Amino acid sequence: MLLFRSEETVEAWCAERNLPVRPMITLDQLWALAQEWYSNRLTEESRRPGPDEMASIFARIGLADPFWDPNAP
Amino acid sequence: MDFLIDVKLAIYRTFAETTHAPTVADVAQQLGAHVDDVQQAFHDLHKKRLLVPEPGDPTRIRMAPPFSNVPTSFNVTVGGKRYHAPCVWDSIGIPAALHTDGMVRTRDGQSKESMTLVIRDGAPKPTPCVAHFAVPAGHWWDDIIYT
Repeated sequence: MLLFRSEETVEAWCAERNLPVRPMITLDQLWALAQEWYSNRLTEESRRPGPDEMASIFARIGLADPFWDPNAP
Repeated sequence: MDFLIDVKLAIYRTFAETTHAPTVADVAQQLGAHVDDVQQAFHDLHKKRLLVPEPGDPTRIRMAPPFSNVPTSFNVTVGGKRYHAPCVWDSIGIPAALHTDGMVRTRDGQSKESMTLVIRDGAPKPTPCVAHFAVPAGHWWDDIIYT
């Protein structure tokens, strides 16, 4: 999971490796993911979200593409 | 408290305080526990996707997301301490986990141009950038070190 200055540098990175361009996410979406995953990581009750929770989190922050489906084969 | 929780907290708190992961022997000493029990806990935490052992050495930790125990291209400064993160998501996950301001220094994945992300007062400072995930969500843990 890498950071890029722009969509153009993502496209160049993918083209150089013959990889498909995947859905890109904004800094605000990335921050929302970081908070959802890690804000309680140093507490007793912390755990990684399960697949259904992940799907709910992704939908809530606008990541609806099938790429984000944790249950997809 | 549940022993697995004790081990999990020992790992994460050691990472937070020292910027490095403890070994099985370190945690056993810290908790006054037997190394075999701590080794089993490391295995169980890996199954729960809360840590990744060092390949070839299950007594050591490669990463306990959002922290990495090896240098990466995501350098995170929080409270005067310098951490490494496995990926861009985890890089801002460190200030999120520590509930404080932080700064990420990395490079554009393609151009290698230096980039900085600043987390201040509970939010990232607006910065022109996008994150890209090459691996679909359903396959992140097929090879989490690559992901």
